[in-house]
Amino acid sequence: MSGSSADPTSDAGDGRRSEPADPTGGPQGTAAVRERLDRVEDPELARSIVELDYIDAIDIDGDRVEVRFTLPTAWCSPAFAWMMATDARDEVEALDWVREARIELCDHMHGEEITTGVNARDTFGETFPDADGGVAEVRAAIADKARVSTQRDAIDALLEAGVDPEQIVALERSDVDVAGDEAHVDLGGLSVVVDAAPIADYLDRVETSGHVTSGDDTVFLTPEADPIPADRLDVVQKRSRLASVNMGGQGAVCDALHRARHGPDGPDGSGASYVDRSTSDQSAYDGDVDEFTSTWTLSSDD
Amino acid sequence: MYEMDGEEVFVIDGHVHMWDAREENIIHEGGEQFLQCFYDYHTGFTPEEEQWDIDTYRHYGADKMTEDLFGNAAADMAVFQPTYLDDFYDEGFNTTEQNAELAEEYPERFVLNGSFDPRDGEEGLRYLEHLKEEYDIPGVKLYTAEWRDDSKGWRLDSDDAFEFLEKCSELGIENINAHKGPTIRPLNRDAFDVEDIDDAASSFPELNFIVNHVGLPRLDDFCWIAAQEPNVYGGLAVASAMSTHRERKFGEIMGELLFWLGEDRILFGSDYALWNPDWLVDQVMNAELTDEQKDEYGVELDVDVMKKIMGENVAELYDIDIEEKKRQFRDDDISERFDLADHYGGDAGAAAD
Repeated sequence: MSGSSADPTSDAGDGRRSEPADPTGGPQGTAAVRERLDRVEDPELARSIVELDYIDAIDIDGDRVEVRFTLPTAWCSPAFAWMMATDARDEVEALDWVREARIELCDHMHGEEITTGVNARDTFGETFPDADGGVAEVRAAIADKARVSTQRDAIDALLEAGVDPEQIVALERSDVDVAGDEAHVDLGGLSVVVDAAPIADYLDRVETSGHVTSGDDTVFLTPEADPIPADRLDVVQKRSRLASVNMGGQGAVCDALHRARHGPDGPDGSGASYVDRSTSDQSAYDGDVDEFTSTWTLSSDD
Repeated sequence: MYEMDGEEVFVIDGHVHMWDAREENIIHEGGEQFLQCFYDYHTGFTPEEEQWDIDTYRHYGADKMTEDLFGNAAADMAVFQPTYLDDFYDEGFNTTEQNAELAEEYPERFVLNGSFDPRDGEEGLRYLEHLKEEYDIPGVKLYTAEWRDDSKGWRLDSDDAFEFLEKCSELGIENINAHKGPTIRPLNRDAFDVEDIDDAASSFPELNFIVNHVGLPRLDDFCWIAAQEPNVYGGLAVASAMSTHRERKFGEIMGELLFWLGEDRILFGSDYALWNPDWLVDQVMNAELTDEQKDEYGVELDVDVMKKIMGENVAELYDIDIEEKKRQFRDDDISERFDLADHYGGDAGAAAD
């Protein structure tokens, strides 16, 4: 990782966490838990499980928190379900007033095994001894897809700023500095400033996937993680677009299955949702097809 | 047939089933979960007024299926893709034999594919020969992610699978339809793997490899492989249903497929009874790319492209002569039953209703 000021994983949430949460289970405690859960992604979609409306309930009893969640189908990959369950547990337990988080996966073909295993702190291998291939490999593959799919917007930002393909493919991590809303890109003395968002998003992914770890690592890579020949940049950009379309397509499938299982009002049918709609009013499907078709585009999410 | 811009579009639904998920046929909890999951797919991507109740969905029978496919001439022909799932269903979910009940009643309207599972070994090879002899199957539908006993599925690039592909080649079973999409009990990395298609397709250039569901959720891997292997095709089952509620997503996927595979290697399929061509064909034919998508991909879903996707490409794979079929359908049993003689009468070819 580079300088801490450029840490792309920092978000506005950290700045608001100084207020002590209400440990009696009041709205502040629930909001704090929800904020932690918002960091857990459905690995297949690279989107928050809160935003995707998977959370059925958050119950707080003193320093113990119970989270119940349901996935779009009973057939969702157990490896993915396992990742979401353990990530949820770890995120909630990162709150200093939480002593124990208990996670329950509902309505899943392996719901009992996963719930039992995660809460007993077993490993995936202990829970599913017959699975050939561990969670770590799946995580790595998923992280790699997220890397590829976010690269396009970052490179587009540079192309739009007039940076040449030759310069783009030669960039090293130490040439790029994200500060506030701006990303400064050093082109051998000449510095170009572009919008930070797509650059920070990509750096977050490429560092998570482990492809960029030091200052002299090449920033942009092919899907196979090789340096990009300048004359192949266009094809690599199209493959990145394809990876985004794939993820968004799967998102649409999961969302439709989720709604088919639970109706548009969420798992409990009450219409109450843990999702804060205030910043994403598009995600409330009200039956208007034309309106909804514009929702699942990754590019419109930032 | 469908009419678009004054031209006839002959529709071959490349992916249909006649399944039986009645409770008495279910012998494992997975069979019920499987059907429920299918039903969620059905309701999730079907306009409300077209949705079925769950009992109809479990078992609709030959009569209803015939009417749904051909009653309003939404489809002109259809290709059966059997799904055995013997561990879940006593008599199978929809085996070659079950599908044959209808295919043999209207042989001019159906293509009947078989299936193999390389884990069946010598017995499986004999069964494949039997299917060829009994039904003259032109293709197989394969389910690589199916669990059996201790096995978590199988790969198309394995030695065992190659033995079966060699047998297909020898018997003239040319069309290898692989289910590469939502998986059955995907416990491991195979849950998102289409790589085995690559080796199989380059090792058997004389065979056609149709990847159902265009590899979703691995559309990216699928398209990249297909771009390099000319005998790899994309089957639109599931993807075509995304034209319900998700027209923009559907447009993006079509844009990618046309960009990477081109218009000759994309095949329409409803995955009936997951979805019903009765309304789906019309919906897909009316789907449009946004202006933004047209610019991005440099492609359009015009009448020539749609004619290929909706019928001509499947016809090419299964040696179907569309003009000959149109003549035949002026007085076949289906046209008599649904009063479609005029529809195939040669003048203009307006839709039946």
